[in-house]
Amino acid sequence: MMERKKILDEGLLEKYLLDELSESDRHLVENAIKNDTELKKKFLELEEDFEKMAFENAINPPPIVKDRLKSRLEEPKVKRLWSRPFVAAASIGAIFLLSSIWMYIKWQETRTEFESLQKQTTVLQERLDTLEENYVLTNTRLQTIDGKNTIPLLMKGNELSPDSRAIAYVNHKTKMVVVNAEGLTKLPEDKTYQMWSDVDGEMIDMGVLETSEELITLKYIDKAESLNITIEPAGGNDHPTVENLISYVTF
Amino acid sequence: MATYPEDEEVLKRLSEKDKSALYTIYDKYSGALYGVIIRMCRDEGKAEDLLQETFVKIWQKIDTYDSSKGKFYTWAYRIAKNTTLNALRKPKQLIQTEDLSVYKDKVQTEITPDFAQLTGAIKKLEPHHQEAISLVYFRGYTHREAYEEMGVPLGTFKSYVRQALSLLRESYKKELIVLWFYMGILI
Repeated sequence: MMERKKILDEGLLEKYLLDELSESDRHLVENAIKNDTELKKKFLELEEDFEKMAFENAINPPPIVKDRLKSRLEEPKVKRLWSRPFVAAASIGAIFLLSSIWMYIKWQETRTEFESLQKQTTVLQERLDTLEENYVLTNTRLQTIDGKNTIPLLMKGNELSPDSRAIAYVNHKTKMVVVNAEGLTKLPEDKTYQMWSDVDGEMIDMGVLETSEELITLKYIDKAESLNITIEPAGGNDHPTVENLISYVTF
Repeated sequence: MATYPEDEEVLKRLSEKDKSALYTIYDKYSGALYGVIIRMCRDEGKAEDLLQETFVKIWQKIDTYDSSKGKFYTWAYRIAKNTTLNALRKPKQLIQTEDLSVYKDKVQTEITPDFAQLTGAIKKLEPHHQEAISLVYFRGYTHREAYEEMGVPLGTFKSYVRQALSLLRESYKKELIVLWFYMGILI
């Protein structure tokens, strides 16, 4: 009875009908209606009045709304398409596809890395070969100029080329001549230095001296009495131009 | 709770997912529900979509309808009202997040289309009674929003609603008596 009074006084029945109540108030009203026939009767009257009023104020919707409702409800194909087995199969398919893509990407990355490593290995191998060659050459030269049978000879430039310096390393045992010509004064492009051996008054060609190289191996000439450097046309000469002699040294 | 006797069979078929039962229910109740929806949203295109949405929900949720708690129409009315209020709130949320009430800022003097006019027993009530019922039933206002809209205290507003409902009851009773009277003559 207390509840009925509260419900009626506070207009909770109307609010319940209009769906305005909180969860707890709704339960209160529902229980009260269930157990109180008087209240139940009042609520039924209220429902009937509101319903009558709604029907008095009804507005017929355009027929197309019903058509649209029908077409929306009768689309079983679309529904079936998204049935549970389909969704499950699609999910597994999607997972398989994604993992395949992921594995393909990983495989491609690994392949690229492998190719890159192969290239690096090739480059390193080439560098190692070059270093080995350089080492052998340098070692040979070092043995040539540093051996106990090697005679180092300083060749100073004369008045034609006073600043020129060259060092010739001669090993009569191994019959090898190596010259460091870096100290020779630079020549125009159409000229070059050339070295000659004097054997019984005859000048024999030993080779052209490139000032850009640190050590130049030249021909060893037996029975040479002196070494001579002349300035010659680029590419070297068959016979020395004696007036262009810039340095010589006797053994 | 009682339902119309003719509804019982249709609702049973509806709960068994018989589409023809839904179309029968549509034929009977769509006008009353459309009358509520269109007065709430005041946009015919939107009201048509919302009516369709309401019946889709009725179709989907019919299992949750409990006839012991109320009449079918009351249940359907709540679905229509809540569907419409939710739709009206949506665009507001984009620009306004603090106040989600639908009608709070509505201007009283807005132009009302013809379909907003009321007819029947409610039309015979005093203007303030008409407005009180119209706001809470046809416009979707809560009691709190409605009394602010009318500019009267909440207690006064509740009295308006109670008086209006009482007058409606009287009016429908008289109609019933007249109906019985004519039926008596005919028989």
